[in-house]
Amino acid sequence: MFNNGDNKRHKVIAISPNGPTGNGDEVEARFLAPHFESDGFPWLQIFGYVGSLLLTIAALLAVVDHILPAFGLLVVILVLAVGQAALQLGIFMHLRESRGSTWHIVTLGLGIVIAIGLVGMSMWIMTFKSGVS
Amino acid sequence: MNLPVEPDSTAKLPLEFTDNHESLKILGFWSFLATDLLLFASLFAVYAVYQSRVGMQGPSPDQLFKLGPAVVETLLLLTSSFTCGLAVYQMRRNHKRGTIIWLAVTLLLGVGFVTTEVREFVSYIAMGDSWHHSAFLSAFFTLVGTHGAHVTFGILWAITLIIQLMGRGLTTVTTRKMYMFALYWHFLDIIWVFIFTVVYLSGKI
Repeated sequence: MFNNGDNKRHKVIAISPNGPTGNGDEVEARFLAPHFESDGFPWLQIFGYVGSLLLTIAALLAVVDHILPAFGLLVVILVLAVGQAALQLGIFMHLRESRGSTWHIVTLGLGIVIAIGLVGMSMWIMTFKSGVS
Repeated sequence: MNLPVEPDSTAKLPLEFTDNHESLKILGFWSFLATDLLLFASLFAVYAVYQSRVGMQGPSPDQLFKLGPAVVETLLLLTSSFTCGLAVYQMRRNHKRGTIIWLAVTLLLGVGFVTTEVREFVSYIAMGDSWHHSAFLSAFFTLVGTHGAHVTFGILWAITLIIQLMGRGLTTVTTRKMYMFALYWHFLDIIWVFIFTVVYLSGKI
């Protein structure tokens, strides 16, 4: 039952090509494997900055010119904001960097799920017109 | 530790990740950011619910906001996020002077952001639209003010960080602190992007 021999679920992948180091560098799942950035010129940072400026200008122009009806416009600017958040996380916050498994991605994912639930459920429950207000 | 330790495997890691204990602090800081995200989510929920409760004669979000200051604040914070990214980039290349210079630029842009925001708040209050006027204004000042307080704390943090970097140079401890500050600063930028979208832009729809 608890054979540790060829059990895929408990297989340890090490980032070190020479196997586990004993320093916490082992990763438990391939999608949690860390990845470090290194470049001769800060292209990524410049891309992130230009990208975030373009997304901001796009959102601003969309609202100022009223390109869509209210609800569609709200969806468009929220999608643009999520895009900017992804740029910040991926490029500036080095999301994939960690010692061993990138467990902070799991923590952050849980935080995001609860955050969306919190805002979404609050708005939903307040759409009911009750006598108490 | 029964497993053999290989010195080569940590040689390629950035300085702040070479020490195991310092790496754990970075993981801990990510957990803090997740809880801070929930704080802001609660305030966003309050704002979304009370946005329309503007009292007897307003002002409504559309009447209150001018996009000018909000756009200036956005540009200042986006640029400071970029310069903070360059500070970490310089730190990774072991350039102490470059790190400190870009961090100082980040700090000054942060001061510009807070100054613009305080002037915006003062202009609203001067018109009699302070936080006790309506549920909308309470929610607005709480959400945006909490973010502004975070940025103000970040500025104080950056000052202490510059002093430490000048005194101690780039060590495993100071690089870890710089890395954590960068996480904090970029996180605040993300929150601001959502404030700009949900509060200012959607107020103009």
